[in-house]
Amino acid sequence: MEFGFSQEQQEVRELARKILSEQVSAASLAAYDEFRSPRFDTALWQQLLSAGLPAVALEQRYGGMGFGFMELALFIEEVGRSIAPLPAIAHCVAAMLPIQQFGSEAMKEAILPAAATGELLLTAALAEHLNDDPAEPHTLTASADGDGLVLSGSKTAVPFAAQAGRILLAARTADGVAVVLLDPAAAGVTLTPLQVTTFEPQCEVTLASVRVAAADIITGADGSRIMRWIAERSIAATCAHQLGAADCAMRMAASYTSERKQFEVPVATFQAVGHRMADCYIDVECLRLATYQAVSLLGSDVGATTEVQIAKIWAGDTGHRVSYATQHVHGGTGIDRDYPLWRYCLWLRHNEMTLGCSAAHVARLGRRLAAGEALFS
Amino acid sequence: MNIQFTERQLALRDELRAYFATLMTPELVAECERDMGEGGGPLWRDALRQMGRDGWIGVGWPEAWGGRGMTPLEQFIFVEEIMRAGYPFPFLTTESVGPMLAEHGNDWIKRELVPKILMGDLLIAIGYSEPGAGTDLASLKTSAVRDGDDWVINGQKMWTSLAHFCDYTWLAVRTDPNAPKKHRGISMFLVPNTDPGWSCTPVHTLGGVRTNATFYDNIRVSNDHLVGELHGGWKLITGQLNRERLSLINFGPVSQLFNQVVRWAGRAQLAAGGRVIDQPWVQQNLGRCRALIECMKLIVYKQSWAMTEGVLEMADASAAKVYGSEGFIEIYRMLGEIVGQAGLVRAGCAQTTAEAGKLERLYRTASIITFGGGANEIQRDIISAAGLWMPRASR
Repeated sequence: MEFGFSQEQQEVRELARKILSEQVSAASLAAYDEFRSPRFDTALWQQLLSAGLPAVALEQRYGGMGFGFMELALFIEEVGRSIAPLPAIAHCVAAMLPIQQFGSEAMKEAILPAAATGELLLTAALAEHLNDDPAEPHTLTASADGDGLVLSGSKTAVPFAAQAGRILLAARTADGVAVVLLDPAAAGVTLTPLQVTTFEPQCEVTLASVRVAAADIITGADGSRIMRWIAERSIAATCAHQLGAADCAMRMAASYTSERKQFEVPVATFQAVGHRMADCYIDVECLRLATYQAVSLLGSDVGATTEVQIAKIWAGDTGHRVSYATQHVHGGTGIDRDYPLWRYCLWLRHNEMTLGCSAAHVARLGRRLAAGEALFS
Repeated sequence: MNIQFTERQLALRDELRAYFATLMTPELVAECERDMGEGGGPLWRDALRQMGRDGWIGVGWPEAWGGRGMTPLEQFIFVEEIMRAGYPFPFLTTESVGPMLAEHGNDWIKRELVPKILMGDLLIAIGYSEPGAGTDLASLKTSAVRDGDDWVINGQKMWTSLAHFCDYTWLAVRTDPNAPKKHRGISMFLVPNTDPGWSCTPVHTLGGVRTNATFYDNIRVSNDHLVGELHGGWKLITGQLNRERLSLINFGPVSQLFNQVVRWAGRAQLAAGGRVIDQPWVQQNLGRCRALIECMKLIVYKQSWAMTEGVLEMADASAAKVYGSEGFIEIYRMLGEIVGQAGLVRAGCAQTTAEAGKLERLYRTASIITFGGGANEIQRDIISAAGLWMPRASR
């Protein structure tokens, strides 16, 4: 059992933190507020790609650094800490990793080197309307067409769909679930922008008899297993992002209350304030441990369904409580758009609700316990 | 970062489970039940000595002390497993005072007392609180006065748990009444509970657990009984409390209880038909408890690792204590809701089950560690100051 980080892990984290803290500021983030421009800092993305960070978990033969999921999660935690306008989870976790894991050699050679340099942006469509299970698609269906597939239906809340060159998505077929790479420029694809709370560019993606060639099919029927693999890693990555964001918001509140004086003393010296922050500290620590556990097990390819569900429950609970506690102890300053906290609160909410809220994961965990799974060893 | 036990640690855990399955005879279990999960009975003492002889109490201690030379993580696995087995382990002696004595004791203490702790032959109670000194511990009045080569001790302590069957009390006393800051005038002594000037009266608590008021009437001890530096007791107290806070949070018994309630709810049929566990609210309670206990486990694993690496943070020890103590109460409530009426029936009554009987009692004992071992308000002060660098109000 090892709770420390290896030399490589520390270096990945420090490199990410250095670049992101230098390049992301309240002023740079303000450029994307209220959808002034698509919330994607392409220059910063290119800088990170040049440093090798988005491809940290990609094999070296495709242009990656050849490290594992823990290193990638540490990079994403830093993206969360800075709430940088980047497609990190969509590109690196939800699309690049599964293509490396499940794609044909031809697909990997066609996609991954371009994804590593940034020439090709990837994303994945994991959400459907009123369907919280990415492994069981219902609103998008596929039927065979020669050696290809024809897809019809829709996906929602697809991050960076309008910017991406390929969208990984799952469709229900007659005998299972297909997973394919969709070219959003293909005939029959409609992208309808959504104005979401974080200003992240997202679209509803509608497909009307869209043909996908055999070369772009990851699987024709075995998709549930692959989508579960993707969902667990995307959830763990969302938890890592939430950890970075929550930790930063908490520390912002701790500094602010240490400086802000009322009744001639720092408000931090009031126990009611100090104790609320202590509760944030405990929440963030729980999220940290639950997240690292899930990431570490996934990185070792050990079954981690229980640990991933627990991490997401903490991501939701911690995000909710830290958001409101930090807003509260800041007084009006916390919600003032000239102060940096408010954007963090939006991301804490985003991560809380993405890929299943706490209540949904509690319900799943409870169902699994009722089925005799997930007990303590 | 790799949060999994090694093969050797898993093998140790299995070995301990088998060992305790043999050690916990029905007679010993019955005696422990009778003693309200506190221990102190003759079979309990025999079992403790047996564990000492078998080299388990000091599994994570250096071999020079008579230990097995493994790390705090193996020591932690041992304590979790023994608590899980239902043996009231005297962890205050072995896990908190013992290591302080090994680190700060004089030659006599290191030679005569510490090895006996690891052999299961010596038990130590903790004497801090007084009628007028609780959270503000540094205002304590029990005194030690120099008389020739000896010290003469007078005063009264409260909540001296286990003292009625312990051999010594780890006693905080005032040695310098004129110290400019009151916590600088405190020293630590080991006082023999066999001294004629030592007496105690029981204090009975909500949970049925006995604690004590203890009295120190002109107890004369040699200078050998002073632990650490004269007037230097405060840092020994805080060091011991840091260790105590970690030992208070055991997820072994609570994870065991959780599994028992899950299995019960999977078997038990509702009067109207259907399993208890198929009710959505029951699954919700179980899911919540599962997530809560998981982080309790991770927090204590991390701290055992941090102790092994020598990087234990004060804020994290306090966070473990607050999270664990308040978490236990939440878990007992949610599991108690599931067992329902049976959770209001005393253990041993034919109409209840083992897990429901436990939950009846746990409701009554659970509050102790939110204030015991340092009130959670003080722990939150420590977390905001040491963990988040927030300034504290002067007191």
